[in-house]
Formats: sequence, structure tokens, C-alpha cells
Amino acid sequence: MNKEIITKINSYLSFNLGEEEFAAHVGKVLNILEMTKITEVPRSPDYMKGVINLRGAVLPVIDTRIKFGMTPTVYTTNTCIVVMEVEMEGDMVQVGALVDSVQAVLELDEAQIQPPPSIGSKYKSEFIYGVAKVEENFIMLLDMEKVFSSDEIVSLKEKTDEGEINLEQDNNDKVLD
Amino acid sequence: MDKFRNKFIEEATDNINDLEDALLLIEQDTENKELVERIFRSMHSLKGGGSMFGFNLLSEFTHHLETLYDLVREGIIKITKELLDITLASVDHMKLLLGNDEFDSPAFKTKHLELSVQIKKFIENDNKAVEISNIESIDNKDNSKIKTYYIYFEPESDIFKDGTNPLFLLDELHTLGNCKVFAHLNKIPEIEKLDITNCYTYWEILLATTEDVISITDVFIFIEDQCKLEIEEVANHDITINSEIIDQISKLSDERDDVGVSEILKIIKGKKEKEIALDVKAKIAKKTGTIPKLKENAISSIRVASNKLDHLMNLVSEMVTTQARLSLFAEESGDSELMIIAENVQKLSRQLRDNAFDIVLVPIETMLTRFQRLVRDLSKELNKNLVFVAEGADTELDKKIIESLTDPLLHILRNCIDHGIESADIRNKLNKPEQGKILLKAFYSGASVHIQIHDDGAGIDPEKIRAKAIEKGIIKKDNILNKKEILDLVFLPGFSTAENITGVSGRGVGMDVVKRKLVEIRGEVELDSEIDLGTTLTIKLPLTLSIIDGLLVKIAHSHYILPLSAVNKIYAIEHENVINKYNNLIVLDGEQFPFYYLREEFDLQEGEQEIEQIIIVSYEEQRIGLVVDEVVGEYQAVLKSLGKMYKKQEIISGATILGDGTVALVLDTNKIINQFSQGKLIIEKEI
Repeated sequence: MNKEIITKINSYLSFNLGEEEFAAHVGKVLNILEMTKITEVPRSPDYMKGVINLRGAVLPVIDTRIKFGMTPTVYTTNTCIVVMEVEMEGDMVQVGALVDSVQAVLELDEAQIQPPPSIGSKYKSEFIYGVAKVEENFIMLLDMEKVFSSDEIVSLKEKTDEGEINLEQDNNDKVLD
Repeated sequence: MDKFRNKFIEEATDNINDLEDALLLIEQDTENKELVERIFRSMHSLKGGGSMFGFNLLSEFTHHLETLYDLVREGIIKITKELLDITLASVDHMKLLLGNDEFDSPAFKTKHLELSVQIKKFIENDNKAVEISNIESIDNKDNSKIKTYYIYFEPESDIFKDGTNPLFLLDELHTLGNCKVFAHLNKIPEIEKLDITNCYTYWEILLATTEDVISITDVFIFIEDQCKLEIEEVANHDITINSEIIDQISKLSDERDDVGVSEILKIIKGKKEKEIALDVKAKIAKKTGTIPKLKENAISSIRVASNKLDHLMNLVSEMVTTQARLSLFAEESGDSELMIIAENVQKLSRQLRDNAFDIVLVPIETMLTRFQRLVRDLSKELNKNLVFVAEGADTELDKKIIESLTDPLLHILRNCIDHGIESADIRNKLNKPEQGKILLKAFYSGASVHIQIHDDGAGIDPEKIRAKAIEKGIIKKDNILNKKEILDLVFLPGFSTAENITGVSGRGVGMDVVKRKLVEIRGEVELDSEIDLGTTLTIKLPLTLSIIDGLLVKIAHSHYILPLSAVNKIYAIEHENVINKYNNLIVLDGEQFPFYYLREEFDLQEGEQEIEQIIIVSYEEQRIGLVVDEVVGEYQAVLKSLGKMYKKQEIISGATILGDGTVALVLDTNKIINQFSQGKLIIEKEI
């Protein structure tokens, strides 16, 4: 399938991180894997969980919860790795994202999607490009390119020593307060 | 020379294929100017290359074709089916010529002449197909003025006394045209009776030339009255290229005192009759007509698209991974038969791996032309007199490494020419040879390849580097660094020693980029320099990038791989010997080693073993210990990249998939050692 056709599809995969429901465009999702043994890579940022074997290739896995400033993922039977393909520095890169549970594939019309609230959100709004209301629940639509985009990850990585992630958490705590 | 010839054959094969391709396309689109250009270009390079590498027939033949297509290019001749037919037939013929640049069968020759004439007809703007009725007429046309002469030459026995060397005369005959010489030695007496001042030898010569009898006689002008000389025309074409006739004559000349002109004429005549008969046969066999020699050439080496090789390497890697799984499974099952099979598969996959590696190895000389060109152009531009010499150009490396090596090396060479080699005036003042020299030397060293680039130029002044580094804030004024450490500063980002930024080097892309590129292919780079004596840059590269022999170790629940080539010794030690050592030094066999306690370094959870293993790894002269829980054994590790997200992970060079499907990380011991020594450096500085 080419890119244009993919982007015209209005399907989204929804998943949970803690109590919140998020969704990513299906065009980005390649695979959903059950939790498997993750090989930790020493001396890497906290949110970089490690690597797994994906049919002979090495796939980096990211703890999405840490990335969004939540507590680290606690593995349960529902924990899944969502394999996505995102663009990084001009190359297509596969990344596994740890999520607490996968919910469903949703069909969303353009009309159902609203711009993200600029204030009052407890998550970094730059990662979210819209909010959809489905049966009384608000689902945040993630911009996967941004979540995993090179700048974001590299900048997080580069600033790890200076506590960038902690800062993020602090901010979120404040909003929660 | 043979090497170059082979290379030319490879290239020419490509050219011919391309030509054929273009011809087939142009048949559909006769007005396509681009295709005509493409055809013309292919022909042109075939012609040029052919004459350069001694494929004279091919070159000459292609020359006619080229002329023809030049006319097509100018629109004088239109592309017609007849034209394409003859061109395609010529292309087929060129393939044969490439495999066999002489006429080893008359049919082959006939075809050659036939095609030549047809091409010429086209050039003369006559599109009518040419009927070939008589071979001789073609011979006449093609070899226009070539005639074959029979020469009988018997110098008098005292000819040496005048200082004449008859061999020089024969040499001179050779310059007139194709020449076959039959020497008669039968007059040489027994050794006791032999007078070494006498000449006993006489010759019969067949000379094919466009010159006339007078110019042949001229050769013998000074000894005309001291020899028996007979010159007679025997054929109006070149018979020296007809190996059958020559064979017959040489056989006769061995048997008899002299062959004589009448006998030769007989042979030629008999030959001609046979040739006509053969020609008919050849025409029948034309469709299937193959010349066996070509076949041999085609088999001895083939060109393969490099992505196919990449695919092969991937498959081999997968195979090695799967084999590891099989071995593990067989061992666990305890089934002895299965274990034997697994062992055989292991052996085979190892051989397959080595074989596949061998295929993707490319000699360094493939890069050299580019270097030579750069040196030539740049030294001219900068007005520097220098020579570029390469040693060990047959050293082979993985083609992926070669591909990523070219740019860094070009940059290094640019630096050598621009900053290294001084101008002639300065060199004269320093009593150095006026011509500078850049030496590229490649050689194997253990499991790696070293490439050294040495210039005998100005060298690098450590004080200048130091001053520059202080100025740029890279080091502090009171930092004490030894010479090597100072020179290594050059590889840091944002460092360029060029005082004036020239257009050649020092345009911001510094040695740091070179180093980074080399590190990407797991290379190491080292700099050594003496002021006024020159600079040597040594690059150490792994032989291959994809599979390494490793040592599988275990820490906590994770497996790691160390490259086996770096492993020196393994000792078992007690846990308490390694913890709480504030200076991280351990004494083993009376020797002191700094060590890393990897469990701690990698921040892994508790569960330390009572007895742990310390692996001594070495890199250059440095040796350090790495403490792990357990050594599992040798392992063939298929290296996989950790990907972009982990590219900052310096001490890990990749990952590999183990037999049970889990991932093991491959540690880069060189990096670990470097980090360790640098860590010490920082401590020293702080003190």
C-alpha cells in the first residue's frame, strides 16, 4: 500500500496507558506482540527499555509510560508491544512501544476529531494532534512521528544527564496538583 | 597486465550488453536520439579500451561501427531494420572477438571480413546487402594492399666478422608487418668442429606487409653481396595470421633443409580450397556456431549485482542463527544422532559463512584509481610536486567497508597534499627530495586490516595543536597531555589546524568526521607525526562487518558477547576480590590489571556469584579485565545493528540473536578499554 492510501484510512488502534486511552493511526502500526523478554541495554536512558528479537531483527523497545512522564510500566498479562514504523532522520525505523493493554481498532471521521486542548492537558500536547470522543470517553490521538521523532528522542537522550525526564515529570505533577 | 586485460573484458562485456540492449530498444523507437548517443558511447569506449589492452581486431572492427553510427548521429544514415540486423550481428561478433582476439578458425575470419565489408557498404551510403561470392575478393578488399612475401635469407658464414648481426635484420623485417620466421639450424656442425665466429644459421621468412619488394630488399642493403637472398610474392593477402598454414610450413621446415617457395605456394593453394569448403560448413553452423574459448571465459568469473550478494550474506547470517538454535536444541534433547547432524550442520554453515565472506571481499586497489586521480589533480592545483605510491593493494576487505572507506581516505589524502607536503622551496631548504611522497600501505594484522597513509611532509607540531585546543576551549591551559594525546585532539569535533582555510581541506569537515565515518565501520584511527619528517595515519579495520567469532558470557539474566579476537585470558576469581576496590586494580599472575566490574557498570540487580570470571581483553598494549558471572563458550555471532535509537551506545557494537531467540549484546572491548583509560585521564586531570 502506498502512503496516500494509508493516510486516507480513518482507522485508529486504541490502547491504554494507565487509566487513559490513546490511539495511533493504523498506518503506523505494523504488529502487536505479546510481552516477551526484553534485553536491557546498559547505560541507556530509562525510557529505552532495551531490545527484543523481532523475527531475526533487533527491535528497540520504548516504555511509553516513562516517555509520557508516568510511572514505569508494570508487566501484566495485558502488556503488549505495539510495533510501529516511524520516520527518523529521513529513514524509516521500527520501534516497539510498551502499552498497558490494546483496546480496539476505531473508525473515526474527521468530524469526530477535535484539536487538542492547549491548556489543562496533563500530557505534552505536542505529541497529541487531536482528541476524539467515543462513547463518553476521550481518546487522545497520538502523533507517532513526533512521539518517536529523532529530535525528541535524541534531545531527551542528550538531556538525560541533566534530568530532562524528571523535569517533564515535575511539570506534569504540577498540573496534576 | 593480465589483470587489466581481465578487467577490460569484464567492462567490455558490460558495454556490449548495454549496446545490445540499446539496439533492441532503438528498434522500437528509431528516432530516439538518446539511444543513438548511448550506442555511440558504448562503441567508443569499446574501441578505446580495445586498442589500449591489445584487442586490436575488436578495436578496429568497432571503429568501423563507430564511424557508421557517427553518420547515424548526424542524421545522414537512417536507422533501418537492415542496419540493426547488421549491427546486432556485429555485436555478436564483438563478443567472440572479446573472448578471442585472433582468427583461430577460417570461418571466424570470413565472418569478420564479411561484417566489415557490410559495415563499410553502409558507410558508403549503400544500404544494399552485400553478396559474398568469393572469399578472395573480400580478402583483397579488406587487406587492400597487404601481400605476403617469401624470403630466403642465408648469410655467408663469416658475416659476423663485419659486425653484422643478422637477428637485427630480422627485427627490422618485423617492423614492416606480420612476420613468421623459420630458422634452419641443420648446418651447425658438431661441437668440436664449431667455430664460434661463424654463422651457420639461415632463415626462411614469411612477411605480410603493405610495403613492396624494394623496401624489403632495402633491409638487406648492406650485406647484399654477403648473403643468398630470395624474395618472392606468394599471396595477395596476409597468410601469417592463418595458423594452419603456418603450422604446416613450420612442420615442413623442421623436416627439410628448406621449404622453398613452390612448396609454400602449394600449401596456400590447398588451404584456400579447404577454406571455401569450410566456409560453407561455417555458414551452416553459424546459427549454433560457438567458439569454445569464449565459453571458458564466461565461466571463469561472473559479475553479480551487489544487492544479490547482500542478500546472500543475509541468508548466511540467518542460517548461522538458525544453526545455533539447532545445536542448542540437539544438545538439550540428548539424542546422539540429532547431535551428530547438528554438528555437521554447524561445520557446513561455518564453511558456507567463510565462503560467502570470501565472495564479498574486494581488494583495496578498486579505490586506488580515484586516489591517484585526486592526487594528480590536486597536486597540480596546489602546484606541489608529489608522487603517490600504494603498497599491498591486493589486501582484501568486505565490500561494505570499502564503500564506506573511500570518502574518509579521500579526505585524509587531501589533508596530506594540502597541509602535509610542503612546497618545493621549503623542501629544498630542508634538504628533502623535491618530490614529496605519499605512501598508502595496506596489510593484514590478525583479524584486522591496517591501512597506513604516510607522507614525508611537514608533520604536525604538537605545540600548535595544543595552542589551538586551548584557544578553542577543548583543553585547559594546565592540562598535561603526552604527545599521542595531543595528536588525538585533532579528531575532536570543531578542530581544524589549517591556519588559512583553503578550498581543499579545512572547510569545516574535519578529522572528526573522518573518525566518525571510520568508527561506523568499526574502524580505529591513530595518528603519529614527527615535525619535518612526516605524518603517519593508521586505520585499523575489521575484516568483516557481519559475523564475528565471539565469547558468550552471562551476567545476571543477560547474555553478552565479547569478540574472541580481543580475549586474552580468563581467570576465575572470588567475588570479594573485585568489590569495593576503590582503585579498580587486581593482581593476577603477578601482573596488575585495571578492571571493570560489569555487573555494577551495567547497573544490574543483585545476585552476585561466589566465584566470578575475569576476562582479560587486550587492545594495543593495554589490557584490562572484565568481570562477568559466567563464561558460556565460543559463539558465532551474527552482528545486527541496534539501530538509530541506540547509536550513542558506544560500548555496544551491536546485538546478536541466540539459539533460544533472545538477544545478546555484543560488547566493543576497544571502546571499553578506551573509556577506561580516558576515565583515568579525567581523574588525573582533576587531581
